[in-house]
Amino acid sequence: MRDNLLVSTSPHLHKKESVKMIMWLVTLSLVPSGLAGIFIFGLGALWVMALAVAAAVITEFALQAVTRRKITVLDGSAVLTGLLLAYNLPADVPFWLPVVGAVFSIAIGKQVFGGLGQNIFNPALVGRVFLMASWPKYMTTFVKPMSYDAVTSATPLAALTEGKALENISYLDLFLGNRPGCIGEVCILALLIGAAFLLLRKYISWHIPFSYIFTTGLLSYVFGAKTLFAGDWISHILSGGLVLGAFFMATDYVTSPLTYKGQLVFGIGCGLITVVIRLWGGYPEGVSYAILIMNAATPMIDRYTRPRIYGS
Amino acid sequence: MEISRIISIAISMVFINNFILSKFLGLCPFLGVSRRTQAAFSMGIAVIFVMVFSALLTSLIYAFVLVPLNIVYLRTIFFILIIAAFVQLIEMVIRKKSPALYKALGIYLPLITTNCAVLGVAILNINEFFVPGAPVYAGILYSIIQAFFAGIGFCVALLLMSGIRERLEFTDTPISMKGIPVAFIVAAIMSLAFMGFSGFKL
Amino acid sequence: MKSLIKEFSKGITVLNPTFGLILGLCPTLAVSTSLFNAVGMGVAATFVLVFSNLIISALRNFIPARIRLPSYIVIIATFVTVCELGIKAYLPGLSKSLGIFIPLIVVNCIIMARAEAFASRNRILPSIFDGLGMGVGFTLGIAIIAFIRELLGSGSIAGIGLLKSNEFILVMILAPGALLTMGLLIALSRLMGLTKR
Repeated sequence: MRDNLLVSTSPHLHKKESVKMIMWLVTLSLVPSGLAGIFIFGLGALWVMALAVAAAVITEFALQAVTRRKITVLDGSAVLTGLLLAYNLPADVPFWLPVVGAVFSIAIGKQVFGGLGQNIFNPALVGRVFLMASWPKYMTTFVKPMSYDAVTSATPLAALTEGKALENISYLDLFLGNRPGCIGEVCILALLIGAAFLLLRKYISWHIPFSYIFTTGLLSYVFGAKTLFAGDWISHILSGGLVLGAFFMATDYVTSPLTYKGQLVFGIGCGLITVVIRLWGGYPEGVSYAILIMNAATPMIDRYTRPRIYGS
Repeated sequence: MEISRIISIAISMVFINNFILSKFLGLCPFLGVSRRTQAAFSMGIAVIFVMVFSALLTSLIYAFVLVPLNIVYLRTIFFILIIAAFVQLIEMVIRKKSPALYKALGIYLPLITTNCAVLGVAILNINEFFVPGAPVYAGILYSIIQAFFAGIGFCVALLLMSGIRERLEFTDTPISMKGIPVAFIVAAIMSLAFMGFSGFKL
Repeated sequence: MKSLIKEFSKGITVLNPTFGLILGLCPTLAVSTSLFNAVGMGVAATFVLVFSNLIISALRNFIPARIRLPSYIVIIATFVTVCELGIKAYLPGLSKSLGIFIPLIVVNCIIMARAEAFASRNRILPSIFDGLGMGVGFTLGIAIIAFIRELLGSGSIAGIGLLKSNEFILVMILAPGALLTMGLLIALSRLMGLTKR
């Protein structure tokens, strides 16, 4: 009875089943990039994913049991959160790091607000920035790709931030994922396969990813080098977590604006903040922070892009 | 008077050292007035206004009264009195001249006297821009700029928070977390997100 | 005597400034990075509370109602200045780490609230005990938060390291950790029924 009376913002979905299906389909669309991550970084990547997903599911179950709420761990949202968190971690982290991150994601990022559909911020990113602020050392130590041992290496983005040109890494390497970085962000090809699936089936719209990536490319072209209009915008788009963030995390229904106009504002805001942090901030990558800040602005964006009733 | 220093002050005050999310100045109104966006907006505007003018007044008094008379140690007493008197004056003027504005801002003005952000920015200005040897007029100018952007940062955090809290009213938050606790959690996550700007350098 | 104990103890329990009234938040969150700083802040605020309550209560029949708030501000600011100069002279380390939060005791809502709500309408002795109770309650609140943050964030208690490792939750001694601890502690105190919501 209580669920029937729940007031929720649009999109109003007809059945609970459809939310569940979307969650699992988004999870499915992330599989290619996960496989690529395991291929590139070795079995360590698989362990990180398994631990994060397991910890997320167990935390969700435990909290729902303790607060005597309906147990909804099978709706796939906890699995998705755990997986996205793992995709945002380096492959070579201590085993407890993905566990702590996933517990934080689910507990503070999601269940505090009342569970699925009520959170203000993307839970996986809440977990990631928590880990980033607490253990920066582990979060920024990346293993070399295709070497399968713990040889650490700097990411291309770190070099770009310092204004250096990328020397040993070609655009093709960046596109295929032959570079150091987080597990799920490196293989752009695999990410685009998943993204194309979501776009074609209309589970996500093009507005946020397009405006986000376009803004990032444009601003990094204009400001990315010592002189104006000389930045290496292709590398800026292909490196870091931009493609993963733009297609799979910024588009989260719950934490992004409802109208297309609002979504364009959201994407442009994300792009602007990402470039500012990449070029002038202390951290090399700004995607997580940009999306979280725009998540915080989403209620305000919705307020001012709400369709007006004719005549009012 | 360099442009890059002004930009640095702006980014620092709005994002990195945001008064609410990083320095914890002005938390009481942040939690008290952030339930409605309209009220938050009025409060934010009032705070910016009061902060800028009290920064001007306190830096003038500091440079031309306290320092020459060698009574710098009395600055806390002087500053709080100046701020209280200024807010009182504004309230009387607004009530006389513009009843509509008074209706919108009136009840927030007395609250601002005990807003630590206003006194905080005045003291920070003195600590940062009035070190011995620094030119006095530049110090006054930077004080005003810093106060303005600190106010903008306050306003941004307050507005974002009010939007979020309006939405949170419709959610199924656990009963012990409802209201203030969940507002703290939201502020913590916003603070984490704003940490992305740390280390900003042009 | 019994009523004096009551005035003292209410500040620690039902009317606890930190968890019950949720007042005086700025210093509570800002200086609770270590137990030492927290207790220093608590003692300083208690000093100001007790003496401003004492003076305001003693002068309550002489201060005209119309200018009472400015008068309170001057009295409070005077003791804050005494406190500020004293700490600077005898505890320069503490003075540095508490920074602008010592002068900001002036605008700590607890002190103004007790002046207006209690000291201005009660006799001297109960006012002193009220100030003392509130001060101890505030010190306890800030010390609990500092204890948790210091333990989790730097793995030590009052500066004494427990483990030689650096696997601690660094964020707990940064700004987000303060907000997080505060939110969860208020929720906990509601769950345990210590404070009403």
